[in-house]
Amino acid sequence: MSILEYNGAAIIAMAGKDCVGIACDTRLGAQAQTVACDFRKVFKMSDKIFVGLAGLATDVLTMQNLLKFRQNLYELREDRELTPKVFSNVLSNLLYEKRFGPYFIEPVVAGLDENNQPFLSGMDLIGAPVYTDDFVVTGTATANMYGMCETLYKKDMEPDQLFETLSQALLASLDRDALSGWGATVHIITKDGVTSRELKGRMD
Amino acid sequence: MARRYDSSTTTFSPEGRLHQVEYAIEAINNAGTCIGILAKDGIVMASEKRVTSGLLAPSKSSEKTYKISQHVACNVAGLTADANILIDQARLRAGRYEYQYCEPIPVEQLVELVCNYKQAYTQYGGLRPFGVAFLFAGYDEHYGFQLYQSDPSGNYSGWKATVIGSNNQAGKSLLKNEYGSSSSSEEEEEEKEGEMKVEGAATEEISMPDVKGALRLAVKVLNKTMDASASSSEKMELYVMSLENGQVVHKILNKEEAQKVIDEVEAEATPAGET
Repeated sequence: MSILEYNGAAIIAMAGKDCVGIACDTRLGAQAQTVACDFRKVFKMSDKIFVGLAGLATDVLTMQNLLKFRQNLYELREDRELTPKVFSNVLSNLLYEKRFGPYFIEPVVAGLDENNQPFLSGMDLIGAPVYTDDFVVTGTATANMYGMCETLYKKDMEPDQLFETLSQALLASLDRDALSGWGATVHIITKDGVTSRELKGRMD
Repeated sequence: MARRYDSSTTTFSPEGRLHQVEYAIEAINNAGTCIGILAKDGIVMASEKRVTSGLLAPSKSSEKTYKISQHVACNVAGLTADANILIDQARLRAGRYEYQYCEPIPVEQLVELVCNYKQAYTQYGGLRPFGVAFLFAGYDEHYGFQLYQSDPSGNYSGWKATVIGSNNQAGKSLLKNEYGSSSSSEEEEEEKEGEMKVEGAATEEISMPDVKGALRLAVKVLNKTMDASASSSEKMELYVMSLENGQVVHKILNKEEAQKVIDEVEAEATPAGET
């Protein structure tokens, strides 16, 4: 059993036309047993930056607090907001600091840059980043999610269409993974604001 | 004059004084004035902006007021370079507390942490003390709005209203007379009449001003402490901390808003009827 698969998670982030979407499941398990169905793994860092943290739940929560700390410090010192790219670099840096005793998380960053253009990045547990313009996935059902996204994704989707695509891709992936599921949350981020919705799926 | 006890911070003089610390405090008395006033619904901090040269590039943020965290801000009087170190420390400590406890650091604890850091430079290492005095303004759910003053010795105290920097004695004496009894609007005059009747029962009750009243008082004090006779919005910086929807809001008044307060204070000074 891998430590990254102890609690279970599934997160997809996708880019649309002047918007991004990020969705996660809400299951928290201890291997086979389900412990909670309201454990969200996607966190809002600002109106334009969301981060999804998949992996060991304790590290998910710790990293969320650490990121908030670093973000506050940055904004106090620089007197301006973090951009998604810089935020992604901060995260990558934090992870590499623990190169030989890492945090067991594999994050994704989704946001809108200064020109309200979509930004996506994914990382491994020691901070190696990948930047894409279509989608990033992470968690215990990545094989399923890659397949679903590759099939359903189209460029330049409007927010409503992005929501549909993201939701269908996630829901179908969750159903074939024992460790993720039990509810899902989707956030669609545009320059005018964020819309968050709960998805109704199989609660198993 | 006990000069031989001056140079080392870590030695007492025969009279039981730490001369280096006292000299540090002197350094602050030459710096731009900072006034802090506690109000019912917030805190006002006013500071004198000393523009040393017209060639200086305009600073994007303040040289006097600094945000330490979401719920704490401070005003600086003294050596800016020393202040930068301490402000960074304060921000780190506030951030670390919130990281550990997932709740904002109580204001007094933050002030004490910064002051303990300053105190170390009066006892160990043979290093000179920081030449900075701070006014900390903060809000927490335990004690509401609080105003603290700290000096190079690492000593701090909580105040309802105080002044640091040049001419602080003049400022303090003005505040002593005016704080808690200022009335500059007609409605306040009527309220005071009502209060007068009750006054007989209670002993010296200081009525806290609201933020607007505190702003006017701060400008009044600044007018007294500043060298130039003409007060303008370029020479002073007015900062207000208040609560909006349960969240702490930091605001540095812009030129128009600051000028409005200055005009109101001037109107008070020249009573109506005088031409």
